[in-house]
Amino acid sequence: MKLKVFRQREGMDASRYDTFEIAETPGMTVLGALFRVQEQIDDTLAFRYSCRGAVCGSCAMLINKVPRLACRTQVRSLLKGEQKISLSHYPALDETVSWNPGKEVLVEPLPHLPVIRDLVVDMSAFYRFYRMLDTVFRPTDENPVRERHMEPVAVKDLELYTNCILCAACFGSCPVDEKNPKYPGPAALATLYRFRIDPREDRGMERLEQANTPDGWWACEFHGNCRKVCSRGVPPIVAIGHARQELEKSGKKPEKTGDT
Amino acid sequence: MPDYTNIREMIDVSTKSAIHSHDILIVGGGLTGLRAALQVSNAGLDGAVLTKVHPLRSHSVAAQGGMNASLGNVPGEGKTSDSWEKHAYDTVKGSDYLADQDAVALMCREAPATVVELEHMGMVWSRLEDGKIAQRPFGGAGFPRTCYAADRTGHNALHTLYQQVLARNIPVYEEYFVTSLVIDGGRCTGCTAVEIMTGIVHGFVSRATLLATGGFGRIYSRSTNALINTGDGQALALRAGAPLKDMEFVQFHPTTLYGTNILMTEGARGEGGILANKDGERFMKRYAPSSVDLAPRDVVARAIETEIAEGKGFEGGYVQLDLRHLGSDRIKERLPGIRQIAIDFAGVDPVEDPVPVQPGQHYSMGGIDADVNGATPVRGLYAAGECACLSVHGANRLGGNSLLETVVFGRLVADALIRDAGGMPEPRVEAVEAAKNEVEQKISRILGGEWGGNLFSIMDTLKQTMFAEFGIFRNAGSMHEGLLAIRNLQERFLQVSLANKERAVNQALVRYLELEGMLMIAEVVARSAMAREESRGSHTRIDFPERDDSRFLNHTLAVIRDGRIMIEYKPVTLGMFEPEERVY
Repeated sequence: MKLKVFRQREGMDASRYDTFEIAETPGMTVLGALFRVQEQIDDTLAFRYSCRGAVCGSCAMLINKVPRLACRTQVRSLLKGEQKISLSHYPALDETVSWNPGKEVLVEPLPHLPVIRDLVVDMSAFYRFYRMLDTVFRPTDENPVRERHMEPVAVKDLELYTNCILCAACFGSCPVDEKNPKYPGPAALATLYRFRIDPREDRGMERLEQANTPDGWWACEFHGNCRKVCSRGVPPIVAIGHARQELEKSGKKPEKTGDT
Repeated sequence: MPDYTNIREMIDVSTKSAIHSHDILIVGGGLTGLRAALQVSNAGLDGAVLTKVHPLRSHSVAAQGGMNASLGNVPGEGKTSDSWEKHAYDTVKGSDYLADQDAVALMCREAPATVVELEHMGMVWSRLEDGKIAQRPFGGAGFPRTCYAADRTGHNALHTLYQQVLARNIPVYEEYFVTSLVIDGGRCTGCTAVEIMTGIVHGFVSRATLLATGGFGRIYSRSTNALINTGDGQALALRAGAPLKDMEFVQFHPTTLYGTNILMTEGARGEGGILANKDGERFMKRYAPSSVDLAPRDVVARAIETEIAEGKGFEGGYVQLDLRHLGSDRIKERLPGIRQIAIDFAGVDPVEDPVPVQPGQHYSMGGIDADVNGATPVRGLYAAGECACLSVHGANRLGGNSLLETVVFGRLVADALIRDAGGMPEPRVEAVEAAKNEVEQKISRILGGEWGGNLFSIMDTLKQTMFAEFGIFRNAGSMHEGLLAIRNLQERFLQVSLANKERAVNQALVRYLELEGMLMIAEVVARSAMAREESRGSHTRIDFPERDDSRFLNHTLAVIRDGRIMIEYKPVTLGMFEPEERVY
């Protein structure tokens, strides 16, 4: 099989694509293929990795024009044309490069974040949005001696969002993040909503008001790419929808939202 | 909402200068490191975290099953109630009596408060119908004692601590690879590190340094560990003069996914999953008549290996973990993570089919020799978590005790650091500058080399050798061969050069530096294992099948003297529990 990989580093006039021919082995993932290249062909190829088991969120990248975890994506199924995900369109998805999907896997860095080198992007903006939304547990009561009690069903609701691994696949798939540099993006908003629905916090509308601006909840255009690319089944689009409904119901929707 | 106008242009200025100073340095951004960082910050000291990956990418995130604590939320058999003493007994028995009982008592006493503390920080634990934190049975435990967040306990704990770290504005040097500890007048006064993204070498000055860098599982070919678990902290400590303790005790987890060796949590058997050989026999009944599938990990791993060796495994060398009888709902509620992993990586849905599993390296019981306060024999240098050996796990760790250790000792060892750092004299910047220059020269030498040896073939051979010769079953002859092979790889390593000559984002350089340490750690494991002529816990000698308390109720210490690795011993700290025969 062939791996067609985006290459860019300091000192290069322009980015380019390198194509590597490697032997496909059973069960080979895109991450495995990248390691094959780094170890046997070109040790300058740069990409992030850690757990190789789809839980740490290091290796989100654009694979055949879909943001995915490289460690979880099987080469064989890509070549067979499976695992296709149809996304709401945005410029980074344009097929500016040609590749043969039956024989090649196209690997590019996650969109919307500056490339440091090859497939390694600067995630600091992504993390900063998360941090600026004060995504930390802030209970209103004093800590009891033992645990606060929670209904199992409330845990189930929270798990939908606490399962997020902050891989930024959603950020890279979001057409709004492409055009609005102030939009925190799906992962940060989903985590903010997780605190809204945490029955132990009890801060009423306060959490929702943190992002109650035209660039916050109201910037989402409900493309739904975030949910489609999430490997953990997290639905930021649902969180954002609920948040907006709730704000609207309580008459807190800002006058100018950009929402038409 | 804050104004984000320039958010994408903001840069941390702190990373621009090459010498940094903090009261306390914490190397490692997993559960231990982050918990320690919170404690240091709460005490009003200036602590910083250095980590070779972003904290959320630490291996702690992959921990599945849970955290043991005698909360007693679920009654035991016959309505008996749990206690920290019972937890301590199970832990000591599980350790095959090699654990230090003062450290075990401390950990088990602190366990309930630790689980509750995480809850107070916002962690979403799974719950019982009455709203209390849920607990389930785990291997080698007399009570349903393991608290869990589905089968994503590490993920939930790590994200919770990370959020707390962010809220306190604790400096985190992300993607910094620590290259050396600075020893000045016998005391650790900081470290050097390569900023991976730029290739810049930095010096860090500190009053005290905590190593919290995790295990060394990746010296083995079949490992559940993240690819980053290369024993960096152990190698740093050994070079700095701190002994490594009990390094022969390597845990092999019985149930890792066939093919990729990704972990299938012990919680799967805790929930009622069973193991079957190719004849469909529930073979654990023969090996552990009373605990059956929930015997401790060393027992189950040996049983599976024996079944496979006797031809009762499936083609390729695996057995089956059967969860189907639990039903779809229970699997989806309690074990969603491993279900997804089995689907993604083996094409098997546990709801429909049994999961193919085999033993794989999972945990490093041994580590940097540290006392109950996490202090190493090198002044100013501390260790906690999997990289350390305090020792709470002895010869075999119980499932659910490692997450517990990380958070308990992240806090307690930080307390010791905070106490001690105040009394330490001002560290000298000059020593750090000198160390930084040495690392600069070393990196220039590595990048300038044209010897032609291949890094990755050495790495691969090392891993195969360790699994073959220092795996579940060991004997003198094959270990001797293994040691010779390791020595040979160390020789070959001297001839390695990299094609990648760049400073910035040079991952080949990072992997070179990792391998340099791995080769040393492998030799320590080998020599420690060869010297221990008995079978205890995870260390199974075919040629010495019995435990020998008269000679080996002792911790192994590996130290470097005159450039050679030497093996010494020191006695185990006993206490409440006298060594007995270990039956399950």
